[in-house]
Amino acid sequence: MGTQERLDPQAGVGTRVREPWVTVVWNDPVNLMSYVTRVFQEYFGLARHEAEARMREVHEKGRSVLSSGSREQMEIHVQAMHGYGLWATLERSDG
Amino acid sequence: MRAFAERDGAAVAALDEEERLVIARIVADVGLLLGAESFGSEPHSTLPHREDLAESLRFLDGVEDDPVEPEDPALLRLLPNAAPRDREVADEFRRLTQEDLRATKIARLRRLWDDLSAEATEWVVPTEQVMPMAAALTDVRLVVASRLALASDEDAEALHAEIARAAEAAEQGTEAEPPVDPERLWLGMLYDALTWLQESLVSVRLGGTA
Repeated sequence: MGTQERLDPQAGVGTRVREPWVTVVWNDPVNLMSYVTRVFQEYFGLARHEAEARMREVHEKGRSVLSSGSREQMEIHVQAMHGYGLWATLERSDG
Repeated sequence: MRAFAERDGAAVAALDEEERLVIARIVADVGLLLGAESFGSEPHSTLPHREDLAESLRFLDGVEDDPVEPEDPALLRLLPNAAPRDREVADEFRRLTQEDLRATKIARLRRLWDDLSAEATEWVVPTEQVMPMAAALTDVRLVVASRLALASDEDAEALHAEIARAAEAAEQGTEAEPPVDPERLWLGMLYDALTWLQESLVSVRLGGTA
């Protein structure tokens, strides 16, 4: 879906700048595990096993950090998650 | 009702006329909740809080101004707070994204409503429409779940226990004890049907998308 390159434009450059913001996806009683897995695959371009691992983290721990980067990037991701009906937030990575 | 299954590269389910009508009505209600024009010629309502609709939509009056957080918890679930601990970030996010999100959700719901309003028993969802359709079903389920006050996994389990209790009583021709509110039972069964449909839709693997 062409979303993977938005996920982490710093990757592969070799210099990791500190990523100040994160996208968090939260557990809710409505979203289906199968659906959440497919959303993570489709939007974040994750392999199926990785998408399932993140989905389980959401389900069991209540939340999972799906991405880190600039505030603007995280706003794009959070908007996309809200588009899918998932409950996502952005926050500063230092808490 | 027959769940979605793969056929000729598409996801195909079957719903009878009444099932399609019931689901189409609640889809239209969710569209209205988001501020859409009525789907179809005459608006119907199945949601119990129709009288609250004008109140829910009042936030649209100030659409020229910065959007405010919806007071209706169901609408808030469709357009959530993106930063509960940071008011400035949350407000900025809502200002930047809310109109786009509403438009996206309304367009998908309208397509779902159109599909359900077609004069056909079979419901055919082509590959590229599977996720948008699943997302529209999610939005409908979020609203129904909010009306059912399902805030946790335990709430969802309690609802299932209630429905099972009512079904068992109905089978034996007796009243459930303690009694189950019929409106809650009806919404709960609708919620379960939508969940079952969505699960089958998402589980269909088309064109090697596994």
